[in-house]
Amino acid sequence: MVDERDKKVIGLIQGDLPLRPRPFALMAERAGMSEGEYLERIRDLKSRGILRRFGATLRHQEAGFSSNAMVAWVVPEKRIDEVGKIFARFREVTHCYHRRPMGQWPYNIYTMVHGSSRDQCYEIAEKMSKAAGVKDFTLLFSEKEFKKTSMSYF
Amino acid sequence: MDQTDRDLLNEIQSEFPIAPRPYLELGKRLGLSEQEVIDRIKRLKEEGVIRRIGGNFHSSRLNFTSTLCAARVPEDKIYQFVKAVNRHPGVTHNYLRNHDYNVWFTFIARDMGVIENALEEIARETGVSDILNLPAEKMFKIKVDFEV
Repeated sequence: MVDERDKKVIGLIQGDLPLRPRPFALMAERAGMSEGEYLERIRDLKSRGILRRFGATLRHQEAGFSSNAMVAWVVPEKRIDEVGKIFARFREVTHCYHRRPMGQWPYNIYTMVHGSSRDQCYEIAEKMSKAAGVKDFTLLFSEKEFKKTSMSYF
Repeated sequence: MDQTDRDLLNEIQSEFPIAPRPYLELGKRLGLSEQEVIDRIKRLKEEGVIRRIGGNFHSSRLNFTSTLCAARVPEDKIYQFVKAVNRHPGVTHNYLRNHDYNVWFTFIARDMGVIENALEEIARETGVSDILNLPAEKMFKIKVDFEV
């Protein structure tokens, strides 16, 4: 797991990297460690798979991906693994998760699909539907963003 | 945005250098000076293209749990409901979507008990009780960097 010094590193890189020539040195100083140790801990968190990614997060709209849809699918339980893997191969799909259905809510696979328009999102979903042989799905478009932030863990 | 901006965006999404002088490193790859890289990133932030540069974590590997929630919220309660939900720091994404279940949010916390308690409290406070809690059973893909 992570120790107290890792938590100090995480507490800083969950924010925004300073736009200064030696940004990690500035953060290391705030964390009370050397730049070398700080960089080493980031690399270590990455190699252990705790840090999924270090880099820039874009606002999709501004970067030319103006439409995104959450596509929810009803997939027979025994085909979940097979279908999940098919959906994951689509480059337009950024997230693909299996979630258990709940009450009257039957959907059990969720994919985030990105395109340049709503029509294109529908086209991508149709392609996915054909590729996986799954006909029961719905597209949920985001109409308003109420919150988008990154988690503060420590 | 010119081609250099696009190359820079692709580079800093997936191959950001974990090095003492990362902007100098990026400049070498793209044929720019360190200062040019910093200036371009600064502008792309101001224009709203870049949200932030930092780490994204697997919450489960930090012993956190996460879930996706969906609520059926009457039109006239949306503002109050969203306010009650967004107050929780573990709520990282929250969107209005075109469905009967119209408010969708993600929730990260130490354990599911914390989330369940928060949902009950939100329901009590707002009178919105139809909230789905849909934790992931399995992740097939998460890849949020985009070729631009």
